[in-house]
Amino acid sequence: MTDIRKPYRPKTLIIGWVIAIPVTLALVAFMATNKRFHWDVVGQYITAPAILGGIWLTIWLTFVSMAIGIVLGVLLAVAVRSKSGLLSWLASAYIGFFRGSPLLVQLIFWYNLSALLPSLSIGGMQIDINAIITPMTAAILGLGLNEGAYMAEIVRAGLLSVDPGQTEAAEALGLRPAQILRKVVLPQAMRAIIPPTGNQLVGMLKNTSLVSVLGAADLLHSAQVIYSMNFQTIPLLIVATIWYLALTTVLTVAQHYVEKYFSRSLTNSNFNRKVVKPAVTDQVPTPSVQFAGETSKESAV
Amino acid sequence: MTELIRLSHIDKSYGKIQVLFDVNLTVHKGEVVCVIGPSGSGKSTMLRCINSLEEIDSGEILVDGELMGYSKQGNVYTRLPPKVLAAQRENMGMVFQRFNLFPNLVAAENIALGPVMVRRRLRKEVMEEVQTLLEDVGLGGFGDHYPAQLSGGQQQRVAIARCLAMHPAAMLFDEPTSALDPERVGEVLRVMKDLAREGMTMIVVTHEISFAREVADRVIFMDEGRIVESGSPEQIIDEPQQERTRSFLSKVL
Ligand SMILES: Nc1ncnc2c1ncn2[C@@H]1O[C@H](COP(=O)(O)OP(=O)(O)O)[C@@H](O)[C@H]1O
Ligand SMILES: [Mg+2]
Repeated sequence: MTDIRKPYRPKTLIIGWVIAIPVTLALVAFMATNKRFHWDVVGQYITAPAILGGIWLTIWLTFVSMAIGIVLGVLLAVAVRSKSGLLSWLASAYIGFFRGSPLLVQLIFWYNLSALLPSLSIGGMQIDINAIITPMTAAILGLGLNEGAYMAEIVRAGLLSVDPGQTEAAEALGLRPAQILRKVVLPQAMRAIIPPTGNQLVGMLKNTSLVSVLGAADLLHSAQVIYSMNFQTIPLLIVATIWYLALTTVLTVAQHYVEKYFSRSLTNSNFNRKVVKPAVTDQVPTPSVQFAGETSKESAV
Repeated sequence: MTELIRLSHIDKSYGKIQVLFDVNLTVHKGEVVCVIGPSGSGKSTMLRCINSLEEIDSGEILVDGELMGYSKQGNVYTRLPPKVLAAQRENMGMVFQRFNLFPNLVAAENIALGPVMVRRRLRKEVMEEVQTLLEDVGLGGFGDHYPAQLSGGQQQRVAIARCLAMHPAAMLFDEPTSALDPERVGEVLRVMKDLAREGMTMIVVTHEISFAREVADRVIFMDEGRIVESGSPEQIIDEPQQERTRSFLSKVL
């Protein structure tokens, strides 16, 4: 006779179920039976061309703004650490300003930039700010510049997480400062940078909905345009919400895999990796196998 | 013998605390100098100054006749820009107590990084040399191992190979065996002895008195930021003149 072993089940677990099950059932019943949800309207608009166009713009805006934010964040983080007092101060001031003011205000500000600066002349070229600042450029500027400040803090924390001995060893080898950053410090900082960056990306996706106030045709704005005509406000907000949820879910799953990849590279789990032993003779080791890890890491930087 | 490294009248402080006082040292080509002394006496700081990893408050460091870390006009010393500092460091290898291998790169890549990135040599040609270097330090089959997959002694030997790949004029060792399990110390010291025999100029901070006795041309005893005594291994280890040297040696021998 083999023994039967049961895991410990705290009583609170049962209380949890007792509350969760009826609440969930009630919520589902409310959503299914309440005619005012107009699920038929939701179904009708969920793949409407205007909505799909809005999704595309939301995705595009998310990635472009995030890309700007990441590049800016790395530059700012490096500037904050720099020995030049002025540069470090300027970067800190930038971060303080953009983190300290509401994103919505920043977006509206960029949209109305021409009120402050009607035209700009660079090298004899006259630039009409009014013509340049469209809802889209204002959206990219606002989201990207704001994200830069948050990414700077994330990258800075990542750089700080790398053992100073690494920089020292690279310096002692004679590597140039840019090479040290690119080859030694940043790849190791990635482990600390990737997870919060994933959160920022999900946050960015949702924050893009703010640009609807500028009239950029993102997902939320597209839904708003439709419900301003047919007054089906709730069903169209549900359509938008479903899509936002779907997109954030995809990003969250992707984040999980990217994190797994980056946490693997520095740990002992390398033991489990499939590595082809180089010949113990004079033969040159096969670079394609040996450096596969490095190249893929590099391309992600 | 030609002079390779010369420190004259080096003072160094961290903030208000002075850690080096009027340090003078000359090392000739091919010479092995061992530095001993209690913890906190400024041994690491001296090595880091030689390699311009630290700024100094006064004095001059010359390597192969070149002033390290500063450009000089009259009595005005201006710190060199990072790129020029890096160029000066290319010719000096440094081995650390904690190895400081790059954990994101396999052993072979650790060794190849300097020659490829700094010396701009062809990768293929460098990889051939890397294999030879790995064999020289007894790690022929370990090129594809990440540092985390190697023992301390193996990591330190990769670190030595990483320096050698740059063909340095001199090598600085900062307690290279202090972080190792006792049974791993010998394998690293053996590699260092080979280097010394081949004529490498070395400054070795170490607590391995027997290594100093066997390999060093000169032993230096440091205490409280000063070079207290300097001489042949026999002089310093067997017949120290200073009371501080005697009391230190009585603790480590
Ligand atoms: N980065 C630093 N900042 C401030 N003080 C330091 C720093 N590095 C070393 N010191 C101090 O300088 C003195 C000499 O240190 P070190 O050169 O590391 O001695 P050793 O290598 O002989 O043990 C010690 O008192 C140490 O606390
Ligand atoms: Mg030390």
